[in-house]
Order: sequence, then structure tokens, then C-alpha cells
Amino acid sequence: MRRTIPLVLTFVVGMYPVFAFFVPHNVISNMNQRLDTYLVIVAAFALPLGVVNLVGMNLSKIKQKKSGWPYSIVLLAGLAVMAYFGVVGVITGQYTGFHPTFEDLFEHMVSPLQATMFSLLAFYVASAAYRAFRARNVEATILLIAAIVVMLGRIPFGDMLTGGNMTPLSEWLMDKPNAAAQRGIIIGAALGAASMSIRVILGIETTYLGKGE
Amino acid sequence: MDIDKLLYIDRRIIYLLVAIGALIPIIKPIGLPVVPTDPVQGLFDKVESLGPEDAVVISYDYGPSSEPELNPMSEAILRHCFTRRIRVMIMAIFPLGGVNMAIRQVEKIEAEFPGLVYGDDYVNLGYKDGGQAPMKAMAVSIEEVFPTDVEGTSTDGMPIVEEIRNYDDVALVISLATGIIGEWWADLVNAQFDVPVAVGCTAVSAPKYYAFFRSQQMIAVLGGLRGAAEYEELVKRKYPKIAATYEKPEQKVISATTGMDVQSIIHVIIIAFIVFGNIMFFASKKKGRG
Repeated sequence: MRRTIPLVLTFVVGMYPVFAFFVPHNVISNMNQRLDTYLVIVAAFALPLGVVNLVGMNLSKIKQKKSGWPYSIVLLAGLAVMAYFGVVGVITGQYTGFHPTFEDLFEHMVSPLQATMFSLLAFYVASAAYRAFRARNVEATILLIAAIVVMLGRIPFGDMLTGGNMTPLSEWLMDKPNAAAQRGIIIGAALGAASMSIRVILGIETTYLGKGE
Repeated sequence: MDIDKLLYIDRRIIYLLVAIGALIPIIKPIGLPVVPTDPVQGLFDKVESLGPEDAVVISYDYGPSSEPELNPMSEAILRHCFTRRIRVMIMAIFPLGGVNMAIRQVEKIEAEFPGLVYGDDYVNLGYKDGGQAPMKAMAVSIEEVFPTDVEGTSTDGMPIVEEIRNYDDVALVISLATGIIGEWWADLVNAQFDVPVAVGCTAVSAPKYYAFFRSQQMIAVLGGLRGAAEYEELVKRKYPKIAATYEKPEQKVISATTGMDVQSIIHVIIIAFIVFGNIMFFASKKKGRG
């Protein structure tokens, strides 16, 4: 029973939008729209589920004193503080929108920390490009040339060097070989997602039900 | 000369040069000219074709890590839309700070347009969890998806929400996106509801979006700081009043054009290191053979 009900629910809920797409009758499409609204609610429930999972994982890491456990304390403390100030305004009705402390924490801690992490990329990319971008064979040489053309094409300096030819050349690379390759990847991924969805709807793929019966 | 040493320069030297290269244009902007490209021109032309009777949805689908690239884009687009008195609905799908980006950007730009009325000309609907779910549900009713705005005020009775009921009333969706969210707008909103979609993304995501742009699932792609600088340039050329805003010292520092100066120097440093690394690589191979 614990297995059959989720399988039947998945089949019905998965097939209904497909059915509604081909049968544009009012009654059917109204129900389909209702399903879309339920989707927002169900998706919102996934958030506390993620929080419970995160807390559980990190608590067990702290209890067992696994490597890096002090970071778990920082993570849980951060989660608790941000969640408290994020929710308190709504619960007490004292503030419209966010609690000012939430704003301050975001503005002065979260934002600079994230920006710093991303900014460091420039340094790592420079160092990694110097070490890894070597014309060892034909493929690596093509990649190297394409990278240099795109890098020069993305800056005004490239156009100044080549009399305005670098931007069109870089755009051609992005527009033709790159778009063709991306299209292949996207179509492949979409077919994979579609086949996985069909497997889930038809009950062939059941890993989402968990291990136990 | 020890080639092996030159082949593996201490990374701290590279870091130092990158830091100096980034600092110089911030202290003294160079102002290198930017030439607008087709993927950016597409959005500018589309916005130019809209007026006060039209509505644009701008979704803030990025967090602080992408701020340097996407904030200048957002500012130029908001200024452009507000100048043309296009009605703007602002929202956020990205959970890690998208709504905060939206709040900051709207607060900054609305101050430059005191004639605009909140709830009438523009609204900040805030964040909605669920990724594709709210995008899909907005096709039925935007008001149902966003019963309150970002401040918790009911959207019921707000003129803009009353008039812009669903995608049928939306002329354009602009997603300022990091990661996959821009793709969702094309896959779902453009493909299923035929709403024109434009995406402003980080440079690292731009290659993926060119496939969508070519297949006309997106009318425009603004890739990274370069895309932002191109849009800024187009807006400044057409609207001298907006151009004057960018001349203010506090604005000049964070404009995409100044950012492009930094990017130019960093790219040149990286290219120089790659070329130097390869020269040393071949020199060491030659030496090995000798």
C-alpha cells in the first residue's frame, strides 16, 4: 500500500497535464491550472524539508565530531539567526517585509561574502589559465585559439588591436560552433529528462520512493 | 635562464598583477569604447517598441555573487523602461538573495524617477519559491501567485496587478539570471505561452544562451559585463538625460563601462600569461630534446 499509493498518485498527476495539453476542454484545463497552483504550494514545502535535512546532517556531524564539524556549528548558527530575523517580522506583524536586522546581515555579511568568493575567481582563473592552457596537441591548440579570440572579443581592447574585427569574430564563434554544440547538449539533456520523467510516471523508476517498502 | 622556473611562476606574482590590473581602472577609468552587438541590440529595440500601455516583467534571478555583472544591466534596463514609462512588474525566483537584489535596485532607480507611482507604473512583487511552478502559474493569474507585494501589502486593487492579469498582458519578460533560471523562462514561458523572453546573464552562462537566441526562443542575450556595457551604451546614446546620470562620480565607478576597463586589463593579463606560458612550454620541450 505504501508503495502503490505514491505510484498511482505519480501516474495520475504526471499524466494529467499531458492529457490536458491535448484536450483543451474548460473543465480539464481548469483542473490543470489548479494543479499548477498546487505545484507552488508543494514546492514551498520542499524548503522546510531541505532545512530539516540540512539540520539533521550537520547535527550528526557535530555529534560525531567529523572533520570540519566546527563549520557545521557556524552553518547552523547562521541558519538560525537568518531564519529568526527573516520570519519574526512576518509572525509578529511588526515589520512589513524583512526585519531590519535581516537586511543588515544580508547587506553586510552575506552579500560581501558571496561577492568575495566570486571575485576570487579572477585570480584563480588567471593562475589556472597560465598553468593549464598549453598547446600540447591539435585539440588543445584549437581550444586555446578560440579562448583567446573570445577573451579579446569580449573587451574593447581586442577591437582596438584588430581594427574592429575581434568582436565579429568572437560573435561568430559564439553564434555558430558554440551554439551548435550547446544545442546538442541541450537537446541531449532534454531527451534524458523526458525519458526519466516517463520512467517515473510509468513507475519504472522508483528510487524517489526510498529504499524501504 | 631557468626555463622550468618560468614555466611555473609563483602564483602570488600572478595574483599581484591581477590585483594591480583591477585596481588601476577603478582609480582612473580609461573609458574604452564598446560596440553594441546583435544579441544586445535585440532587447534595446524591443524596449524601444514598447510604451506606457505595455508591461514588462523583470525577474531578479541572481544573488550577490553575480552583482558586479548583473546590477549594471538591471540599472540600464530599469532606467530605459522607466524613461519610456513602460509598466514594470518586478519579481524574484532565485532563492539566495534575488529579492534583495530587486529591492536594492528598485530603491536606487525609483529615486531617479519621482514622477512614477508605485502600484500603478511599477510594482515589486517579491520572491516566490518553487522555480518553474510560479512561472507556470503566472500564465493563469499573476495576482494569485503574488497575493502580496514585497512589503506584504495586498496586490488586490493595485492598478498594475489588476490590469496585467497574466502573460496575455505581458509584452516582454526579462530575466537577469545566474545558472539555469533564464533557460526556464525560455523553455516554459516563451515556448508554451509565446511571450518574448530576453535574458541577461553572467559571462560564464552566456555561451549556453546563444543556442536559445539563435532558435529565437530568446529575443536577446546580454552576456556578462560586456552585455551590460553594450546596453548602457545604447541607452546613453539615445537618452542624454540617462547619459548624464552615468556621469555622476558615484555612478561612474560602478557603471558597466568602468567595469569593462577592469575586464579589459584582466583579460590582457590572462592572455599575456597564456602566451608566455606557451612560449616557455615550447622552449622547455626544445631544451628537453636538445
